[in-house]
Amino acid sequence: MKAITSFEQLEGYREKVKAAQKKDLPTVLICFGTGCQANGAVAVAEAFKEEIDKKGLKVDVNIGFKTTGCHGYCENGPLVVLRPKDVLYLKVKPKDVPEIVEKSLVGSEIIEKLVYRDVNTKETIAQYHEIPFYKYQKRIALRNIGSVDPRSIDDYLLCDGYKGLAKALTMSPEDIISEVEKSGLRGRGGGGFPAGTKWRSCRAVDSDVRYVMCNGDEGDPGAFMDRSIMEGDPHSVIEGMIIGGYAVGAKQGYIYVRDEYPLAVKNLQAAIVDARSMGFLGKGILGSNFDFDIKISRGGGAFVCGESSALMRSLEGKVGEPRAKYIRSVEKGLYDKPSVLNNVETWNNIPVIILNGADWYASFGTKGSKGTKVFSLVGKVNNTGLVEVPMGISVRELVEKIGGGVLNGKKFKAVQTGGPSGGCIPDSKADLPVDFDSLTAAGSMMGSGGIIVMDENTCMVDVAKYFIGFLVEESCGKCTPCRDGLPRMHKLLADITEGRGKDGDIETLTELCDVLTYAALCGLGNSAANPVLSTIRYFREEYEAHIRDHKCPAGVCKSLITYSIDAEACTGCTLCSKKCPQACITGERKKAHVIDTSKCIKCGVCKDVCNFDAVRVE
Amino acid sequence: MGANVQKKKIDVKRIDKIIKSYDKSEESLLAILQDFQRAFQYVPEEGMRRLARYMDVPESKIYAMGTFYKALSLKPRGKHTCKVCMGTACHLKGAGQILETIERELKVKRNSTTEDGLFTVESVNCVGACAMAPVVVVDEDYSGHVRQSKVMDILDKYK
Amino acid sequence: MEKITITIDGKQVEAIKDQPVLMVARENGIDIPALCHHPELESSGGSCRVCLVEAVQGGRSRIVTSCNYPVRGGLEINTATEQVMKIRKGVLELLLCRVPDSEVIRDLAAKYGVEEPRFFKDEGENNRNKCIACSLCTSVCEEVVGVSAISMQNRGVEKAPGTPYHKDSSACIGCGACAYACPTGAIPMKDEKGVRKIWGKKFKMITCSVCGKPYIPAAQVDWIVKTTGKDRAFFDKCPDHR
Repeated sequence: MKAITSFEQLEGYREKVKAAQKKDLPTVLICFGTGCQANGAVAVAEAFKEEIDKKGLKVDVNIGFKTTGCHGYCENGPLVVLRPKDVLYLKVKPKDVPEIVEKSLVGSEIIEKLVYRDVNTKETIAQYHEIPFYKYQKRIALRNIGSVDPRSIDDYLLCDGYKGLAKALTMSPEDIISEVEKSGLRGRGGGGFPAGTKWRSCRAVDSDVRYVMCNGDEGDPGAFMDRSIMEGDPHSVIEGMIIGGYAVGAKQGYIYVRDEYPLAVKNLQAAIVDARSMGFLGKGILGSNFDFDIKISRGGGAFVCGESSALMRSLEGKVGEPRAKYIRSVEKGLYDKPSVLNNVETWNNIPVIILNGADWYASFGTKGSKGTKVFSLVGKVNNTGLVEVPMGISVRELVEKIGGGVLNGKKFKAVQTGGPSGGCIPDSKADLPVDFDSLTAAGSMMGSGGIIVMDENTCMVDVAKYFIGFLVEESCGKCTPCRDGLPRMHKLLADITEGRGKDGDIETLTELCDVLTYAALCGLGNSAANPVLSTIRYFREEYEAHIRDHKCPAGVCKSLITYSIDAEACTGCTLCSKKCPQACITGERKKAHVIDTSKCIKCGVCKDVCNFDAVRVE
Repeated sequence: MGANVQKKKIDVKRIDKIIKSYDKSEESLLAILQDFQRAFQYVPEEGMRRLARYMDVPESKIYAMGTFYKALSLKPRGKHTCKVCMGTACHLKGAGQILETIERELKVKRNSTTEDGLFTVESVNCVGACAMAPVVVVDEDYSGHVRQSKVMDILDKYK
Repeated sequence: MEKITITIDGKQVEAIKDQPVLMVARENGIDIPALCHHPELESSGGSCRVCLVEAVQGGRSRIVTSCNYPVRGGLEINTATEQVMKIRKGVLELLLCRVPDSEVIRDLAAKYGVEEPRFFKDEGENNRNKCIACSLCTSVCEEVVGVSAISMQNRGVEKAPGTPYHKDSSACIGCGACAYACPTGAIPMKDEKGVRKIWGKKFKMITCSVCGKPYIPAAQVDWIVKTTGKDRAFFDKCPDHR
């Protein structure tokens, strides 16, 4: 790869790559995100290569072949897209491949059994963009994912890659910052701080050295937006950071990627190498006098390292302990130099904001929350996966229109947003628009975009206990409230879920929450109270049922429920009694079985194996 | 904490090779420790001490990192690492019960190693495959939509 | 060194820009309890959360730790509002749960009306041995002594200072600065028959040529001589007889 040293050269090269594309070549694009790989995408890809070869055809001559990043519809993987028709096949197995090649690539037939089938209407839809999951999305951050091979810089260039950078280098840093401010882009990692304002503050600090960093430590359990962007479109993050570096006056950028995302690290590393070879990173970028390079730093399995000051310490080669933010990191950040830390999705939006203009970006979203947001819609919902929508869509629309409604026809109870720093939005508030300020006003927060759908069988006290338990494990241990307060909060919640709750416990919990909120050192500690306070706010009666009546209405808390077998539904197949680890289910073949509750440990295996829904949990 | 997994004699040449493959900067410390972890299934004491000497960083600081970051272990792990994701989506879909089943069947407590040194069972915080909850990762192999009654079938493949 | 005026508890006082609130308060006779901060240790502070105060700046009020909050012009500090007292009491209650055996913590907590905490105590195998994980010991070892023999290990409730592998450390010089810095006296150090025992290591001590009392570990003298070039003979006499 020869380095490109001018804008004209870049466009010339881009035209060359475009011209080399075979128009309307039947192409198969196989999703190689972590999810689909876990479901067997590698075997599917090999099967395609084999079959194409078997038929005497040549890859990229007769049939195009590409592996791409995550489409976000992970539950239905392995996902395969066929171009140019834009057909989506779901749950593809290696044994389906010969038929696909024969009928849909060489021929132009649709294989009905592989297309999307609406779980409610039973309608089948073959077109990718007609499927409800994708139809209502507006994919800006996810613009290239699923179309580009993340390891091909040429693919990125085909999608106008590095055009934003070329344009930015013709602008002044001041103009770029103004454009980002005008776009209304707010941090996508959870803080929602206006990106342009952050950049402006950093640039204003007098210093020879400044840094830009990307927070790829996506630690919120239930969130995988950043993973799919880093894996599926690494160049978008790199291009955003180069523009950011130019705007604030930084020569060095860092991408901090959490340890649990090995594919993201691999794809980012390869992309950086390619970007360097082509001259987008290094000295004198595109013939300008701007030098910039990027290093990757891996996390080590610590949620607290997603906190900005902890991340910077970890980057410096230390333990990831936060520090007081009374002096902000735009003044004293990495190595005590002025620094800008932004989230993966924030950086990814920058190239298109510069290319298409602030007004274009600001035409989406709400007054206070411009643009689109990628959400990970997971939990008890039919269509789980990544969705990108304009800010302002309501929770209900997200869950019902795009998510296809609650799983198994159960009743919607709440969504949890913002991970361990967020709260729940109950049914009564589900028509609220999803944007930064509305969610905060309701006692939750946008967070990084994880939206966990909960149904009538989700115990909200258990949810609060879960999040506090998570934080107990992740606390860095530096400050008293978080280190010593969270375990005691957890004990209180565990007591409540195990039938040892007492009157006054809710008040004591609330007091402990206050200590955390006001006395903790960092964001982990002072937002830890949110899941507890919001579940108390909206589901107080559930707490009271646990405390006063020793009952778990949702049927979750083991000490407060009993397993039994509905004699009418039971067919006597004996499967449960065979699997019961306590051997406490008795019954004759073809006769209703019975659980000996004195021995039952409520492990749930019987309910899991029963094909007749005969196990009751009350 | 579980079995006494045999500490193999550590190949010092391998340690030095890993150390030298990175920039001589404190920024490389965590990455080097993780490479040790991958190469030896834990961070060996010799590795830590040699690294401290090479980088001219106090041993106590590197040791602190070894105890802070959960990706690193100071004790050898089992032949296979079985990670049960305890992210929110996985939790709602029964991750807790899956972990309990594994503990029961393998007779091991979470975050420790089986007597025979075959499996180290860990609970981890969200691997980012939430749409396939519940998720279990054995070594580098991901399994999604894991059912409590089927999880041992997955582990049996590694026995 | 810009001079500014701020208000503490209604009193107008002079301060230097960016000085920590705690220092300004103390200079003006206003006492704020604090455990983990030492004015000579730059990396200290922000851990115990006992020194909380209310800071009002630019119309915005928040609860901050006074030991590391920098004063700026126009700042108003209230050290004992109802909310501040309540939160401080809550912090002390948690500390008392953690180290119920510490007299220092017991006394301070009692001042705020906390005698018996409402939550479980760290006892038995979870005994923290008076350590509140404030990092003063590791800070002094790194910043002042310069050997970094100990570091804060683990995270969460298990966070505690120690030598690598809890083995005796070749870096430790037995100076005891860590023990002196500790606000709760949690670091055991024993001097007996001319030998000091600390962090699991024994140090032979040098005796004063005048009074014959063992007063300083030889290893500490070695370190001082090595790093400052001071004449070893200087240490023949103890400070009382120099």
